[in-house]
Amino acid sequence: MFQKKTTEQIKAATRPSAQKKAGAFYNNPQIRAIFYQTLLVVGLLYFFYAIVNNTLTNMEASGIKSGFGFLSTAAGYDILMSLISFESTDTYLRVFIVGFLNTILVSAIGIFFATILGFIFGVAYFSKNWLIRTISTAYVEIFRNIPLLLQVFFWYFAVLAALPGPRDSLSFGEAIFLNVRGLFTPKLVGSDGSTLVYIALGIAVVGIFVLRSWAKKRQELTGQQFPLLWGSLGLVIGLPLLVALFTDLPFTVDYPALKGFSFKGGITIIPELMALSLALSVYGGAFIAEAVRAGIQSVPKGQSEAARSIGLKENKIMSLVVVPQAMRVIVPLLNSEYQSLVKNSTLAAAIGYPDLFNVFVGTALNQTGQAIETIFMTIIVYFILNMMISFLMNRFNNNVELTGR
Amino acid sequence: MMSNNSNTASRQFVPTPAQPAPNMSAGFVAWVRDNLFSSISNSIITLIVIAFFVSVIPGIIDWAFISATWSGADQSACNKEGACWVFINAWSQQLFYGSYTDGELWRVNLCLILLALTVISSFTLPKSFRLKLSIPLFLVLPFICIAILDGRLLGLEYVDTDYWGGFSLNILMAAAAIIISFPFSFLWALGRRSQMPLARSISVILIEFFRGIPVLALFFMGSVMLPMFFSEGTNVDKLIRVWLVLIFFMSGYMAEVFRGGFQAVPKGQYEAADSVGLSYWQKTLLIILPQVIKVSMPNILATFVMLFKNTVFLLIIGIPEIVQTLQTALSNSNWLGGWAIEGYVFVFLIFWVCCFGMSLLASKIERDLDTDKRD
Amino acid sequence: MKTLVKLTALACLAMGANASAGTLEDVQKQGYLNCGVSTGLAGFSQKDEKGEWSGLDVDVCRGIAAAVFGDATKVKYKGLTAKERFTALQSGEVDVLSRNTTWTNTRDVSLGLNFAGVVYYDGTGFMVNKKLGVKTATELDGANACIQAGTSTELAISDYFRENKMSYKAVTFDTADQTRAGFESGRCDFLTSDQSQLYSLRIGLSDPSAAIVLPEVISKEPLGPVVRQGDDQWFNIVKWVVNASIEGEAQGVTSANVDEMKEKGKPANKRLLGVEGELGKNMGLSADWAYNIIKQVGNYSESFERNVGMDSPLKISRGLNAQWNKGGILYSPAMR
Repeated sequence: MFQKKTTEQIKAATRPSAQKKAGAFYNNPQIRAIFYQTLLVVGLLYFFYAIVNNTLTNMEASGIKSGFGFLSTAAGYDILMSLISFESTDTYLRVFIVGFLNTILVSAIGIFFATILGFIFGVAYFSKNWLIRTISTAYVEIFRNIPLLLQVFFWYFAVLAALPGPRDSLSFGEAIFLNVRGLFTPKLVGSDGSTLVYIALGIAVVGIFVLRSWAKKRQELTGQQFPLLWGSLGLVIGLPLLVALFTDLPFTVDYPALKGFSFKGGITIIPELMALSLALSVYGGAFIAEAVRAGIQSVPKGQSEAARSIGLKENKIMSLVVVPQAMRVIVPLLNSEYQSLVKNSTLAAAIGYPDLFNVFVGTALNQTGQAIETIFMTIIVYFILNMMISFLMNRFNNNVELTGR
Repeated sequence: MMSNNSNTASRQFVPTPAQPAPNMSAGFVAWVRDNLFSSISNSIITLIVIAFFVSVIPGIIDWAFISATWSGADQSACNKEGACWVFINAWSQQLFYGSYTDGELWRVNLCLILLALTVISSFTLPKSFRLKLSIPLFLVLPFICIAILDGRLLGLEYVDTDYWGGFSLNILMAAAAIIISFPFSFLWALGRRSQMPLARSISVILIEFFRGIPVLALFFMGSVMLPMFFSEGTNVDKLIRVWLVLIFFMSGYMAEVFRGGFQAVPKGQYEAADSVGLSYWQKTLLIILPQVIKVSMPNILATFVMLFKNTVFLLIIGIPEIVQTLQTALSNSNWLGGWAIEGYVFVFLIFWVCCFGMSLLASKIERDLDTDKRD
Repeated sequence: MKTLVKLTALACLAMGANASAGTLEDVQKQGYLNCGVSTGLAGFSQKDEKGEWSGLDVDVCRGIAAAVFGDATKVKYKGLTAKERFTALQSGEVDVLSRNTTWTNTRDVSLGLNFAGVVYYDGTGFMVNKKLGVKTATELDGANACIQAGTSTELAISDYFRENKMSYKAVTFDTADQTRAGFESGRCDFLTSDQSQLYSLRIGLSDPSAAIVLPEVISKEPLGPVVRQGDDQWFNIVKWVVNASIEGEAQGVTSANVDEMKEKGKPANKRLLGVEGELGKNMGLSADWAYNIIKQVGNYSESFERNVGMDSPLKISRGLNAQWNKGGILYSPAMR
């Protein structure tokens, strides 16, 4: 047992190379990593191969057409609303584009109003008025906890469907009409000189950015603030208006008018769009209000107390001190809320708003029977949209973080 | 106050009795003044809100209670002035259990009770073996429930998945999906944090894919595309297909929840585990996982509420969950009276009560966790 | 990798290998018929409070079950949406699709399906509000239309309006019930759908008499059961189950007098009911296959009146769906 080992023997037993031998190559973490990953990739490759193979065999066996050839064939059905012109003789590709634009439209409207609602109710949670606080809490708790689908039904079949018919529309100054068919507003139609006005509008938009950087510089130098919001609004409205007056108003107004069954002319905002936007904004707003609330709560009390002690007014404390700091918490949450809002816009199918999902996975799939192609194209679009939102919000987040520090 | 403080060392602290509140700063009137009419704008808002409620609420009460019909056999008992709760009454079994075989409803109830017991046990069991017991309990629960509901394995009467339905299906489907998504999401979250580049990128792709596409599209994939993926002649039940899809959908979301949880666990925990020589899996499963689950609990519940609400979308692919059942009921030729409002109000309320309850629970857990941190 | 193994394991658990012998053999082996029906369409396939299915489409499946098993109750109904119905059939999830499906060339030819006859001759029609004062569909220029999404109505209406150089706006809804709600709220001027549905939708209005169904029928919508391509035996069975019920009515055989007819009927009756000839055996069924259909489900007339006709709340008249010698176009090929 207690044989005396020679130094040589001890050295041999404890030499690193010997250890390695005992430990063997499969305990080397690097080799293990390579092994696991190879296994993973081979498995995945086999998995996809099996799927593709099965699908092709299945489709051949049941005699289903495949490929994207259907995109260039005529759709043969009409779409309720399109931002570009659409006839039933147009192709499925155009159906795809129309649906895509409609999805963008409703998502943008939804994001815009959800953000406004969310900030209003999120801030209202800290109001001094008990009723407002309660309503803010009630709003969040009610709308967050009911499936969105039911809310879409509610707005469409209970609220908007209760509006009067076209012949007894609610009219606002005989120019804007609201009825069960939608909201009808006048439209500006540009004539000859109108390009100048558009150019003026473009200049005004550029002007805002110039104004903004100037105001920022001035504030940093002198501490004086410039009423940026009013300044920008004045620029955007005033400059084109001025040009329009000088060029003798090169516009005609196209008023909606009751003709035949419904209103013709002007701009029509269909109730499907209204209902879906309402549902998306109210539902998204409830979640954003939660995010805003969490954000404001994350700002240490000392910040607002300090602001109060140097004599800032309450509304300035919120907008200049608390909210900018809260944004660091709010923005990442906003990111995911915006993404889910875009995904939730697929509920358009429930009330017939012609978004991408409805016209493509809904109708086109049914008419062509080409499930894989249509679903694939649609999924890709939503995927890209979400990536874009994520990208933009991350950039915005970087901005917020910098100014925060 | 000052005098009291200086004397505390020598004699017992006796607080002077509180001054009575100044006139008009306590009591109902003062509360109303402070909270409802503190400024002109506040007063205006208060009045508008009150006016709104006064104009709306009596009509609703009249419709829902006073003019409503509560009992009867069919729609002929109902009138158009009030709600027809007869409709809900007649279809209540369908709305809750779907077409599940009449005499076998106890099996659905049993599953719901088992689910409730498992959830309760995971909060109340002694801490020493809570995790060790409740995690396996949770993981086998969906399979036990499937065996009970299906019945073939247990020698009970076979009930095909086509007969499962109603609100119980919404609950069980959501629970089964989120539970089985745990191991997947855990692996994906680990993969996303892993040093291995391929494993990491595959995890990221999976997570972002399942988070990035609408759940409706996923359901369509489950119902229309998945059958094409299986080799010829194999037929996977529609409910199981949708369950699979839901599991992956949930895994994407839960992986992100867990990632947040992993980040919340202090680095010292990892280092401590490494220093006592635990292997990777020992460290992850025994040291990190319990802490991750604890920290993520509020988010897990929030994710579950989201999933639970999303089960309504199953109607789009014709699974007889509660809203689909409601629509079936509305299209029955003996009930063509247009009782949609009653039906939707009913579903509205059920969902609201369940989801609100869960979000209360989530915020309670969150508060408890907060105090833990301060200790 | 582990996730994959688990996934495949899960999938395997749920798989019932369904080797493609004949559909008849498969159906006989599993002991019941998998029947794809609509998730809810008044009169055609509807569930009641007890979860029992009934309807004209449902009766086709009951008839097939009666012919194959001698027991009309051996059917499992799968409620399918319009979008998934063909995939469900192609993938073998259902053995027969009886879900108010219009027989069109595209579907018959390029979707790998076979239509096994017609159980209801339908056509796209219009329902308008009486107040509108519209008498014919040609006055509908510029109107809004409520349509159920993904149906062949969507195509038919587009054709019709283009043909007549009129314009319209299509407001589409996901389910029939929502379409009705949209029409009732005044979202559109007219509702267009298969005529059979128009009647059931009209009953659901809060004031059915306020709406009228216009006389025009603008398209052919023959509705019938569908089977997979490539199994002629099963195709024949479904086809002749439909024919047997039509022939039953033509011969005056009803569920009430079928026993009597079997004993003392004419030779044609006896051939239908399996007393003479080998009709059943040639299809791979028992001799009394048609007897079972008529005994348990009834002939076409009974089925029609019970589900959508005068004995039902829908009160649809026979119209095109009467026998060929009574003003309709129902005509069973010779049963010999």
